[in-house]
Amino acid sequence: MKKNYAKPDEFTTLELMAVCGARAIKNGEVVFVGTGLPMIAAMLAKRTHAPKAKIVYEAGFIDSNAIDIALSIADSRLGYRASAAIGLIETLGLLLQGGHVDVGFVGAAQIDEYGNINTTYIGSFEKPSVRLPGSGGGNDIISSARRIVVIMTHEKRKMVKKLDYITSLGYLDGPGAREKAGLIGGGPSLVVTNLCQMDFDPETKHIRLATIHPGVSLQHVLENTGFDLTIPESVSTTELPTYEELDILRAIDPHGIYIPRPK
Amino acid sequence: MVEAPVEDKRITLKEAAKMVPDGAHLFWGGFGFQRPPMAFAHELVRQKRRNLTIYTCGSEMDIDILSGAYVASRFELAFFAIEGIGLAPNIQRRIREGAIQIEDYTNLAMALRFLGGALGVPFMPLKSMLGTDLVAKTRFRQKKAEVVKCPFTGEKVVLVPSVRPDFSIVHVPRVDREGNAQIDGIKGEDVEGARAGKKVIVMAEEIVDTEFIRSQPDQTVIPNIYVTHVVECPWGAYPMMVYNYYDYDMEHVRMYYEQCKTEEGWQKYREEYITGVDNHVEFLQKIGIERLLKLKAKKPLPY
Repeated sequence: MKKNYAKPDEFTTLELMAVCGARAIKNGEVVFVGTGLPMIAAMLAKRTHAPKAKIVYEAGFIDSNAIDIALSIADSRLGYRASAAIGLIETLGLLLQGGHVDVGFVGAAQIDEYGNINTTYIGSFEKPSVRLPGSGGGNDIISSARRIVVIMTHEKRKMVKKLDYITSLGYLDGPGAREKAGLIGGGPSLVVTNLCQMDFDPETKHIRLATIHPGVSLQHVLENTGFDLTIPESVSTTELPTYEELDILRAIDPHGIYIPRPK
Repeated sequence: MVEAPVEDKRITLKEAAKMVPDGAHLFWGGFGFQRPPMAFAHELVRQKRRNLTIYTCGSEMDIDILSGAYVASRFELAFFAIEGIGLAPNIQRRIREGAIQIEDYTNLAMALRFLGGALGVPFMPLKSMLGTDLVAKTRFRQKKAEVVKCPFTGEKVVLVPSVRPDFSIVHVPRVDREGNAQIDGIKGEDVEGARAGKKVIVMAEEIVDTEFIRSQPDQTVIPNIYVTHVVECPWGAYPMMVYNYYDYDMEHVRMYYEQCKTEEGWQKYREEYITGVDNHVEFLQKIGIERLLKLKAKKPLPY
């Protein structure tokens, strides 16, 4: 079937990010998500190419079929037509650490070139300038899910050479480090930002450019990146959203709580 | 057959908060916006409790209030924020002042620490936290976590210390006066947390007849054996939510967030909604019946 792609001026960057996130989910997968863009991406995947995906929220909602946008991971809205409502030991312990979760979706305040993530402190541990929310279930998810998709905004102060605090381990400093640390999960596989998508070289585990969003130059990506980004010989433009995806996406968040409507 | 009389564990919110001395260690129930013991936080502020240590997974406006009013000085937790809105405003300020300290774990680590306490074992193993600053950096605990090799398989695990706090405070939809508690929707870490405390105070939206609980015993997640006291406290999580009972009041939460960005704004909020009223009922009267009724769950939706 031929895909009916929207034109670059017919969607917003946040919409493109949600579509990229959704496409990272395969049909039938068990998906562990947080609120915000990850939740929207998972809901979009379920209503398009991955109807058999099962969405798990760490507070205890399992196989959620929410129809309203939730603000909290424990929001009663996520209980709508869920198959079960249990608790943290069930989701983070038995499901996740037990090895049943295919993909985890997380956000990050800082990420480095090996996919290590900080969501705890900005500044020094002794005298931080900002105290962020902390791990929550983030470290648990990044430790144990089979693969990880990160969604975040692309800024120099967020894409850093050295993290202020390692909340969650990506590949630390290269191949074998996760295994040596004793982690069971596969680690980060994709980073979706407002400028591009990045993945990790399977040999070196170093972050590399995968696709650039339409209208964004390589120069602009590099100017907003604080670490050394591996650039492959040819980099394609990010696949555009289809009209179908955009229609469904806009129906998921009709009031623009996480994705403000395009003007 | 001899029928035992139904034991009555009911006390008032004021009496319950009075049992908690300065410096006590508390398991703090609820998760995110779901079932936080908000009314208990208010009462601790009214009674000017000080230097509490709070153990929880992820909490929000409730522990921000405890921080703002200098009720709590130490936290062992995994997450705090006003989800969907921003960082917890009072906690930011109190950290800068040095008035509170936070020891960071993950949600699974905290939940397992409560399970360990409830099981009566000194630590629990898990496969999270490995290789991170969550293990490497300690704020105030002498020992926070330890990476060891499993004596049976040789694989690396992190050991985290179990928690047996002085009190566990949980807010549930229904309890009978004997203390049999039922929770609708997600349980977060309350099932383990309630069992970890040396004394357990269960706040509830409603106290129901014990025959009602006994007609659906499979819904009971905290049996009365664990429970010390029961407190009837309708709208006890407001402005947050209780599954099947009421939705959150985002207008109030946003107002709190905006206002508490400054110390003056927080003091104004505290005076107006917490210390300026005598008790929880007066607080609810201040919010007003019309506003509360609008939040009631529209069944079959649980919100």
